[in-house]
Amino acid sequence: MSTAENHGGLPGRSAASRGSIGVALLRITLGVIILVTWWKNLQDDFYTAEGLRGFFDWLFLSADKGGNGSSLGFIESIIDGTVLQAPGFFGFLQTIMEFLIGLGLLLGVFTRLFSALAFAFFAGLFLSYFGGHEWIWTYVILMASSLTVFLSWGGRMLGVDQGLAAARGDSPLGLLW
Amino acid sequence: MSLTAITDPRGRVAPLWPLSLARILLGLLWLGTLRWKLPPDFDGGDQTGLRDWLQLEVDHAAFGFYGDLIESVVLPNFTLFAWLVFLAELAVGLSLLFGLFTRAGAFIGLLMSINLGIGLLEVPGEWPWSYLLMAMWHGTLLVSNSGMLWGLDGFRHRSG
Repeated sequence: MSTAENHGGLPGRSAASRGSIGVALLRITLGVIILVTWWKNLQDDFYTAEGLRGFFDWLFLSADKGGNGSSLGFIESIIDGTVLQAPGFFGFLQTIMEFLIGLGLLLGVFTRLFSALAFAFFAGLFLSYFGGHEWIWTYVILMASSLTVFLSWGGRMLGVDQGLAAARGDSPLGLLW
Repeated sequence: MSLTAITDPRGRVAPLWPLSLARILLGLLWLGTLRWKLPPDFDGGDQTGLRDWLQLEVDHAAFGFYGDLIESVVLPNFTLFAWLVFLAELAVGLSLLFGLFTRAGAFIGLLMSINLGIGLLEVPGEWPWSYLLMAMWHGTLLVSNSGMLWGLDGFRHRSG
């Protein structure tokens, strides 16, 4: 191992492979966070029609009336025209998807797929919370985390995808593992 | 083996730029949080200032020893600790933004993220997972080459 490759100092492992373990740990953390939040939301009946309706009402309610005060009107219009037309259905869908995304990232299975879905999910949250009282950097960090896991093949170390790739090679278009 | 890429066990090379981009974003985040703790008063203006946040950590301490430490040591010597916090966050922010002594900046950022997580764990309106994620990110930057790409560490390495 050349000096240039091991200038980081940890014996027996190159700096480049250390990055993969770091991304794997990031992936696992993301999975844990999603699952813990999912479980709490489930207990709070967040994914019901009333739960979703109440959440979006609070999201776009002005801050002086106790809401978040989100400012992107077009996002509110999209949500009004889609999610809030069938909140029960979307709540059911979100229950399943959040659980699968969290579990997939935790175990490192179909990581490319689930990290891409996670990025889309967090991007939606970023746009929904934008301009309000919530600390928007939370969603920037979540987006950056899921994007990094996607781009860095985060399931290929400490994950099921490692075995999938060894047994089956690359997934079609690299979009699954 | 490239200093600007990550390899997985099958030898697939993944780009380092997502980590380097995240490094820059985290640097901007730390620098952005300085807005409400600027010297000499470290007052937040129309935002919650540093002293207010410290008082919230006392009022909603998740760990008694931590709340006691803030109340009996930090708050009575607020100006000193405010300068330390300001300079530490400035140093971490600049280190990560410019990719200079990145691992040192990531290490200090890791400690500060853990400190924030402990202090803000029970404060109303805070989402503690943010700080776990920040800690994980700094840990990831600590063990990666993120300063080698779009960073002065890379410039120093190539010059040295």
